[in-house]
Amino acid sequence: MLSVLLLVPIIGAAIVAFLPMGESKRLRQFTAIIATLVFAWIVYLLTQFDLSNSGFQFSEYLSWVQPIGLSYSLGVDGLSMPLLALNGLLTWIAIYSSRGDIERPRLYYSLILLVNAGVSGALMAQNLLLFVIFYELELIPFYLLIGIWGGKKRGYAATKFLLYTAVSGLLVLAAFLGLAFLSATPNFDYNSITTEGLGLTTQLVLLTLLLVGFGIKIPLVPLHTWMPDAYVESSPSTAILLGGVLAKLGTYGLVRFGLQLFPETWSLVAPGLAAIGTVSVVYGAMAAIAQKDIKRMVAYSSIGHMGYILVAAAAGTELSVLGAVAQMVSHGLILALLFYLVGIVEQKAGTRELDVLNGLMNPIRGLPLTSALLIMAGMGSAGIPGLVGFAAEFIVFQGSFTTFPIPVLVCIIASGLTAVYFVILLNRTCFGKLDNETAYYPKVLLTERIPAFVLTVTILFLGLQPNWMIRWIKPYTTSVAVNPTGLQIAQVETQK
Amino acid sequence: MDFSSNIATQLNAGAILPEGIVVVTILLVLICDLIVGKSSARWLPYVAIAGLLASVAALWLKWDATESLAFLQGFNGDDLSIAFRGIVALSATVTILMSVRYVEQSGTSLAEFIAILLAATLGGMFLSGANDLVMIFVALETLSISSYLLTGYTKRDPRSNEAALKYLLIGAASSAIFLYGVSLLYGLSGGQTNLDAIATALANGDGGESLGLAIALVFAIAGISFKISAVPFHQWTPDVYEGSPTPVVAFLSVGSKAAGFALAIRLLVTAFGAVSEEWHFIFTALAILSMILGNVVALAQTSMKRMLAYSSIGQAGFVMIGFIAGTDAGYSSMIFYLLIYLFMNLGAFTCVILFSLQTGTDQISDYSGLYQKDPLLTLALSICLLSLGGIPPFAGFFGKIYLFWSGWQAGLYGLVLLGLVTSVVSIYYYIRVVKMMVVKEPQEMSETVENYPEVRWSLPGMRPLQVGIVVSLVATTLAGILSNPLFTFANNSVINSPVLQSAKLTQPIAKAGISETSDRPIVQ
Repeated sequence: MLSVLLLVPIIGAAIVAFLPMGESKRLRQFTAIIATLVFAWIVYLLTQFDLSNSGFQFSEYLSWVQPIGLSYSLGVDGLSMPLLALNGLLTWIAIYSSRGDIERPRLYYSLILLVNAGVSGALMAQNLLLFVIFYELELIPFYLLIGIWGGKKRGYAATKFLLYTAVSGLLVLAAFLGLAFLSATPNFDYNSITTEGLGLTTQLVLLTLLLVGFGIKIPLVPLHTWMPDAYVESSPSTAILLGGVLAKLGTYGLVRFGLQLFPETWSLVAPGLAAIGTVSVVYGAMAAIAQKDIKRMVAYSSIGHMGYILVAAAAGTELSVLGAVAQMVSHGLILALLFYLVGIVEQKAGTRELDVLNGLMNPIRGLPLTSALLIMAGMGSAGIPGLVGFAAEFIVFQGSFTTFPIPVLVCIIASGLTAVYFVILLNRTCFGKLDNETAYYPKVLLTERIPAFVLTVTILFLGLQPNWMIRWIKPYTTSVAVNPTGLQIAQVETQK
Repeated sequence: MDFSSNIATQLNAGAILPEGIVVVTILLVLICDLIVGKSSARWLPYVAIAGLLASVAALWLKWDATESLAFLQGFNGDDLSIAFRGIVALSATVTILMSVRYVEQSGTSLAEFIAILLAATLGGMFLSGANDLVMIFVALETLSISSYLLTGYTKRDPRSNEAALKYLLIGAASSAIFLYGVSLLYGLSGGQTNLDAIATALANGDGGESLGLAIALVFAIAGISFKISAVPFHQWTPDVYEGSPTPVVAFLSVGSKAAGFALAIRLLVTAFGAVSEEWHFIFTALAILSMILGNVVALAQTSMKRMLAYSSIGQAGFVMIGFIAGTDAGYSSMIFYLLIYLFMNLGAFTCVILFSLQTGTDQISDYSGLYQKDPLLTLALSICLLSLGGIPPFAGFFGKIYLFWSGWQAGLYGLVLLGLVTSVVSIYYYIRVVKMMVVKEPQEMSETVENYPEVRWSLPGMRPLQVGIVVSLVATTLAGILSNPLFTFANNSVINSPVLQSAKLTQPIAKAGISETSDRPIVQ
């Protein structure tokens, strides 16, 4: 069942790359159909998902390369299922929002499909080596996506991205080699890996390798320097995939391989992680306030929002892990919407500079609907109740507060700062008087609005009815909470 | 009667049937060239390829032969040697595919080139199975002298002459050093030339840990390191690679290296079993230096051939990890990696040859914008380079993982971590070429590529080149995903070879405090 999520996009990518399909628009249609099929299959899986089961479902197992302990082992649970859905949705958005006249369309669309397959594979892999393969598989497609279809400094941004991510991959690989070897298993299967019985120092070393590896991908301060460049220089659809989907592999890995495989050591490093998360939150917000470029502002806001996930994962209570997963989904949706709208503004107004943009709300000459949606997205990101961002952040704060009261308080204050920079952004771009010398902006076509509508509706719907997101995550979180302190400990123990 | 049958079993000449086929092919090529003349160049390469493939088939038949020792134990045709002989023969096959057009364009005779290449192959194959000091030296010299001739083959090109002279001088010196080391070994063992006899003599006699043995070891390693171009015995590599005809470089970087590794395994594991800690130590140093220097210096290269030269030094460093591990998994990961390396490296060289045939240049900057003009070449070269860099899902990733995994199991944490770090470095310089070809805009296209003629596969000698590219492309892409048969093959070739198994029983693994995961007992 799960292999479909790999095979369909990979075969689609091969067809797009090698079979003559004519012009760019037809290619986009074809790719969009593939992405729709994949997403439809994910929706089907969601309906078949057993909500009472906290373990892996739809498992598939094929022994692949025995001597190195690599097996083709897939499965999903409450952690990966919502992220899979996010991946499916955002890939569709990214394809749909690609420009119709894009250069080298065959390479472009096949790379996007490969990215989709790679992320799905990483989320489903139940073998550590298989995870690494998919994790590294992303490297080249994204390198090319940034390097070919990016902005002015794309070469620099792409190389920086490549080097950072390659280091991230090798740290993760080193940790996995160590883990598999020390747990004395003949293979890298997730179920047979355990850290029980390992010395504390060994566990700390391995966990640190993992944390730094995934920390680069998330990215956490101070490992984030590749990220603003990569996000800003890439095209809007690439940025959606980078920030919305790829960064989630970092947090996913953190929870799946950090929290779940090192339950004992996790509580030792948790205060440090919470501190780093808080620093990321504050740094992201502060840096975003200082930006003059709206895309860069959104990029820095992403650092801040990923910080919440880290704080929640560090707390490791049932509720906070739930919040972490919810925040991954919500951040993916909101960031995608923001990048998409910023892309439209850039395309229509020809600039991203805060100092130049003005009065986009103007109903006749401006971009009224885009501005309205931008306000919506800003509200979502700032955590206004009624939108998905609020639901996720609220669970994060409530779940982590008992464990880390001070970091959480700082985070709450920093989420106030989020509102500050979004007010700056909206105030400068949307409101005010449109300069007279500025010509009429080109109209935003209905087809260009559709991705934004889809995302907005999803954000609003999940904000009003968060249970539709939570219900798939819930069974998983009850099984992984590791928090030894705080109020949740009694619950954890009774479940064991 | 009894005597002659005894001699027949002692000689067991059937063990060298594959080499025999190669000898016959050499003669056939030479004679046909003499009789038919120049027009034979059309079909002679195919005769040579057929001969090499027949030799590989013969190797296949010899797989798991009950009686592997031949020529009074001078030659050991066990499965380990079959694996290495296969690698050497296959690399020669692909080299011929890529050399037809290249040699013809350089205006020299193709038949002689093929004959010398086959002679080098013969030397490499014998070296892979040689079990006797004299045999080793003769095989080594056959390989070396043929290689000197090959590097100077385009005799009108002064750089080729320079390369040949450099290679000859350094090669002769290293052969002499190797021979001196071997002569010491001969003396210390009380006049034995057979490797097993030497091992026994050294173990029983008092020469076990003597200074003489240490000197012999160092000299022998110097000779081997020259062949596998391990740092600091690598200085010849970049110059020779840059000046020589590219097909020759391809053969040197794969076939000749594989033979060198085979020699290293057989000589060191068997004859120098008594000082295994010492040679493990030396090889650890060589591996560290090779990985660091090869990969770091490759960053700064502007010529494609020089870059591949340094990258091959780095790759040899990775392979040494498996050798140092010294476990079953370690040896078989070496064989597995060399097999995969054969396809990806030769694939890269085939692409380089095609590009230089089309444009006459090897500069990396001249590749920019190639995507627009020749998608097949771009795809093939990109995939081969990415595979060399160890990016999944290509074959190189699986090879590297197996090397690192076996190294990690043997407790070589430092080496493996260094290997991981240097492979990130290597990704950077491999991707630089990919970036040149793929990412550059049409307006950034280099002048060379702008004038890139359309590839005409119908020209004589281009078909083999195309076959070479496609075969190595397919192998590099699929050998990783479908690697189970290759893994089984590599593992069996190690497990079925008594040389390695008996060595494991008699010597400790060089690292202290590491228990092996396999269930074989280790007698300390």
